[in-house]
Amino acid sequence: MITLRNISKEFGSEQVLHDVHLTLNKGDTLAVLGASGSGKTTLLKIIAGIHREHSGSIHVGDTRIDPLPPQKRGVVYLYQEALLFPHLTVRENVGFGLSVQNAPANTQREAVDAMIRDMGLAAHADKYPAQLSGGQRQRVAFGRAAIIHPDVLLLDEPFASLDFDTRNEMQQLFTRISDAHTMTTLFVTHDAREALRVGDRFAQMRDGMLHTYDSRRAFIEDAASGVQSELDFWTKIQQEIAADSSPQ
Amino acid sequence: MTTSSRRILIAALAVVFGLPLVLLLYLSVSTQWHYPALIDHPFTLQHWHWLLQGHSPLVASLGLSLGLSLTVGAVATLTGFAVSRLLAYHTRSTYWLLLAYAPYVIAPVILAVMLNVYLLRIGLTGTVPGVAMAQLLITIPYAVLFFYGFWNERIRSMEHLVRTMGGDAQTVFLHAIWPAARGLLAVCFFQTFLISWFEYGLTQYIGVGKVQTLTVMVFRYVSEANPYLAALAGVLLVTPPLTLLLVNRHVLVQRIWSHKR
Repeated sequence: MITLRNISKEFGSEQVLHDVHLTLNKGDTLAVLGASGSGKTTLLKIIAGIHREHSGSIHVGDTRIDPLPPQKRGVVYLYQEALLFPHLTVRENVGFGLSVQNAPANTQREAVDAMIRDMGLAAHADKYPAQLSGGQRQRVAFGRAAIIHPDVLLLDEPFASLDFDTRNEMQQLFTRISDAHTMTTLFVTHDAREALRVGDRFAQMRDGMLHTYDSRRAFIEDAASGVQSELDFWTKIQQEIAADSSPQ
Repeated sequence: MTTSSRRILIAALAVVFGLPLVLLLYLSVSTQWHYPALIDHPFTLQHWHWLLQGHSPLVASLGLSLGLSLTVGAVATLTGFAVSRLLAYHTRSTYWLLLAYAPYVIAPVILAVMLNVYLLRIGLTGTVPGVAMAQLLITIPYAVLFFYGFWNERIRSMEHLVRTMGGDAQTVFLHAIWPAARGLLAVCFFQTFLISWFEYGLTQYIGVGKVQTLTVMVFRYVSEANPYLAALAGVLLVTPPLTLLLVNRHVLVQRIWSHKR
């Protein structure tokens, strides 16, 4: 479980985050929707320990983690770009976190093989990142994060640069792996449909404030979230296409 | 470009760059080559014998130049790499970065005159450490400017990623920095080595004729109107940079992380 209390952050005279509160239970996926510059990434970087100067506190379980350095927090941050290690194979990339933790060789081998199978990367295990497609690289990045079972996984628009089909496939994969490993996740996106698909809890970042919703329905029905208007837009497009293609 | 025109271009480039080297080699085995003779006859290896038997001051100069330039290249590259990171991650880096341009705004000889006041006071004028210190004042800023752009958002993100996955400073260096930096480190070392290797004005001024690097010796033989020893020194002067160039080319050309691996 992760708890954020009174998190605020300023860059110079600009207040980027205002008094953010959040409690997320183990296994929850919070989809955080928000426009560019709304403070989503800043919030993730504060949780990960990349931005250290802020007010408020962060707890994972009973442990206060905000005084800890990033490597001691048990929080993994995934960027939009896969950021694979170019000098390591897929197998070595996936096993990176375990080797950093000095896990026994047998445990590493078994866990990596299982994760590579789960990710559908068995045919690519000995390839280097330069030999993979964008979607395959994101799979490796996701597997590399998931294999160490972080207390909290932070995803910062991880599928934003992928094409529609690959993105769709990755959203399904994320949901499956996340459920299988009972991962606690903050998934930041600017795409309302992606938020609805991957999240089981929902929030929106507006003007540095985090607005959370108890249910999918509440998220959609809040006019300020803009989700309903986006869904209406796509419904209207579908209706227009259907009307165009129907016989005159 | 057609194959034949490419061949002609390669041949022309080989002549342009190769002929001066051939001339140097030729002069180094000559003793009496005067106009209008097309070639000198007979050739002699006496200069080379003199060199190889260790009697020539060029042997000591070669050793001194190698030691000086390898040290300056290594220190400048490593210091520049570390300082550029500090500057790139500093919020007011622009002001500090402007300082790095100072040695290039002032001509090296002027810099030498300014520096010499301080080096005299601490007794380093006319010594190898004094010359090394003066050369580092040019090469370190060069290395800082060279590496400044390396510390981009991607490298920072890689560093953060490794940290959040539990990596310590050593792991961050080995996996996030080293794979991306090693080619640049080799290039920077090569370039700072070259700056030091061919440096004349600053070396001569701070060294006051006591620090006789190969470059200084070439100029000395030229000024003494001894083209044969100047050529011999010239051959020695171009050999290490050419060797490093070949090694560097290998480092740059090999596609380490390419699909061929």
